[in-house]
Amino acid sequence: MGLDLITPEYLAVLDPFADEAKRIVEASPPLEALPAEIVERAVRRVKWTTREMLVEPDLESIRAEVLSFYLMCQAVASVSFPGSQEVRLISEATRNTLRYRMYDLFKRGQADLCLRAVKRSINLVDLEIGDTIRVDRFTIPREDFYKLRDLKLAEDGLETVDDRILPQYLPRYAVRWTDLAPLLRHRRKELARLYLVGGWAVITPRDLWDLYANFISVRLEDYVQSVYERILESGAQPSGVLARVGERISSLVPKEVFVREEFGRGPAGRLRPEFFPPCMKLALNGVGAGLRNYAVMMMLTPFLSYARVAPSGKVATRMADFIKDISVVREEIAPLLFEAAERCNPPLFQDQPQEKAGIFYHMGFGMTTEPTLSDSGRSKWYRPPNCSKIQMSAPSLCRPDEFCRKVKNPLTYYFRKRYEASKGGGGARDEDA
Amino acid sequence: MRMREATPEERRRFYLEEWDKREVPDFILHTISLREFGFDLDGKGPNNRYNQFTTVEQLCDFLRSRAPYSAYASVALYERPSAREGWLKAELVLDIDAKDLPLKPCGCPPGSVCERCLEEARQVAKQFAEVLAGDLGLRNISFVYSGRGFHIRVNDESVMTLEGNERAQVVDYVTGGVIPSDFTLALGYSQVFRERLVRTFRALGPEKLLEVKGLRKSVVQRLMQEKERVIEMIRRGRLEEISSLEGLGPKTFRSLLEFLTRLNAEFTDGKVTIDTKRILRLPSSLHSGVSMKCLVVRDIDRFRLEEAVPKFLREGEG
Repeated sequence: MGLDLITPEYLAVLDPFADEAKRIVEASPPLEALPAEIVERAVRRVKWTTREMLVEPDLESIRAEVLSFYLMCQAVASVSFPGSQEVRLISEATRNTLRYRMYDLFKRGQADLCLRAVKRSINLVDLEIGDTIRVDRFTIPREDFYKLRDLKLAEDGLETVDDRILPQYLPRYAVRWTDLAPLLRHRRKELARLYLVGGWAVITPRDLWDLYANFISVRLEDYVQSVYERILESGAQPSGVLARVGERISSLVPKEVFVREEFGRGPAGRLRPEFFPPCMKLALNGVGAGLRNYAVMMMLTPFLSYARVAPSGKVATRMADFIKDISVVREEIAPLLFEAAERCNPPLFQDQPQEKAGIFYHMGFGMTTEPTLSDSGRSKWYRPPNCSKIQMSAPSLCRPDEFCRKVKNPLTYYFRKRYEASKGGGGARDEDA
Repeated sequence: MRMREATPEERRRFYLEEWDKREVPDFILHTISLREFGFDLDGKGPNNRYNQFTTVEQLCDFLRSRAPYSAYASVALYERPSAREGWLKAELVLDIDAKDLPLKPCGCPPGSVCERCLEEARQVAKQFAEVLAGDLGLRNISFVYSGRGFHIRVNDESVMTLEGNERAQVVDYVTGGVIPSDFTLALGYSQVFRERLVRTFRALGPEKLLEVKGLRKSVVQRLMQEKERVIEMIRRGRLEEISSLEGLGPKTFRSLLEFLTRLNAEFTDGKVTIDTKRILRLPSSLHSGVSMKCLVVRDIDRFRLEEAVPKFLREGEG
């Protein structure tokens, strides 16, 4: 690959959200008219290894790269949901791809190109390494400089490396920690694991590739979420090339993940409160005046209904697709919700009796207090909000435990906990719905 | 200093005679129309919410006419504060409440405050602010004496759009609330953690140490006897040497470390920091529960509690 005469558009290969990439997307034909090789690339890119991840510096290759990236994201958004196995799969693949591209460019002496891409999103400076080691006006003790190298080597399980590799492990740059907020938000990085001086996080080239690759994969997840919400709002069913590509990517979810998914997609069953996330346990205990509606309507109703009825990796639209008997709703889910509402202070239905119908409305039965299976689909069946949303809207209910760090949605918490308990011989066998 | 509840008459006197709009800090004054104001009018809680004032004179009129038990302003700025909609950004806040300190130097019961625990809270606030300014490189950091403790309010643009998760990580960093991967680095979190650990360990009594899982009474006694030596080990980042103390194996040492780290995190109420829509006591207003003024502290090193005593209390005692 000759990178001597790189076009400005090549930055889109390192940053699919850059203006260069957006211009390519704006000029692209409609989805259904995309060439077969781009459609194929959108699927294959999930499984790329090393050299397949690299892109030739010609306009046609850059265009194929960008369009296949967007097709992959939109296809996954149309057949799954934020935080799904599919989203994680493409997010991880993109992260690995970006990391490898950065590594390759550094190796080829094209570090400047990488730094140009990074500097568009992150405030980055070179460490001044001379008699003293400095960033901005702060001096870094030389001992710390070498300790940081050794810690990074230890993290990668390396004791010694040759002189070719060693510079990758030596601190060389510094970035403003506040620019890493998206990574902290998604818990891809921990502030206490960064070496911070005067607001600068001191990093090695390897850290830089890793941070930047994570940065783009987090943006991918946010992008998929925005597409997913647009699809939900429009009410359109996925079809055509999006559905085909999406289904093919779904089929590529690794086998061990599939076991988990199969467990999830298997028969729904008895609710297991011991696996509920802390926020839902708190909400079930009843909450105060300002939070009642949110806790019961927006959190508990979707959470309990999906957890009980449709542990599915797919976008579910109607409860009737999963149950044959309305008693599951009336006799199992609704009583739990009514009890939680009663435990609120003041009890929710005491002054807002109309909200009884609201509960069934949020489960997709329309405004009714006597739902039947044929009502299913009259309104939207809401999904539980993501953890970040709950933290914003009901911070007092967000008391994350260690497991919460691994998930972004309370429902995922429940399914994964339940699955892990069953895997560990915890006897978490569920009854049929 | 005797802290007692203010009477409705004293509240009225305070707002009519003593309250001064010049004591409302600039960071609130300059954004007054973008903040939600909340009031506790009768001592039953801040139920009067969703208030918006476009000028400080409007706020002044409200305070003088209603003489609230407590007054609050949001840390968040909104497009429409009166609907709490259109969130724009929020100050980064740390709340160090003297009544909730996990280790009290004075022995006053939980929920109570005395001058010694307020002094402890002041020291903690100062340490936290040093990390915010030093390690995190933040500017525009203000201290507010809240009546029962201190608020640190950061109006640095680079952190005002952070969400709850990031703010939670700031709390972990500043308090020493997570165990670091390395104890020996001269700067960075490693140093912060060591300093917090020293402070917490120094304040620990034997009864508290007995709460550590697996820690026998004889080992507690030894840790107390050798407190200064242990503190020196922590300072020098040689924590592994602590586990070699007789009767303290690696497992119990880990329990001890986790226990101390948990205590570190309790020096501030993390819920306040992660809540980007919180209302906080308005600097310049009266904390009627203790009859003290909530005010901006210009110099945290020279702060004296007397500055916060309202006239009616001084006269009453004089």
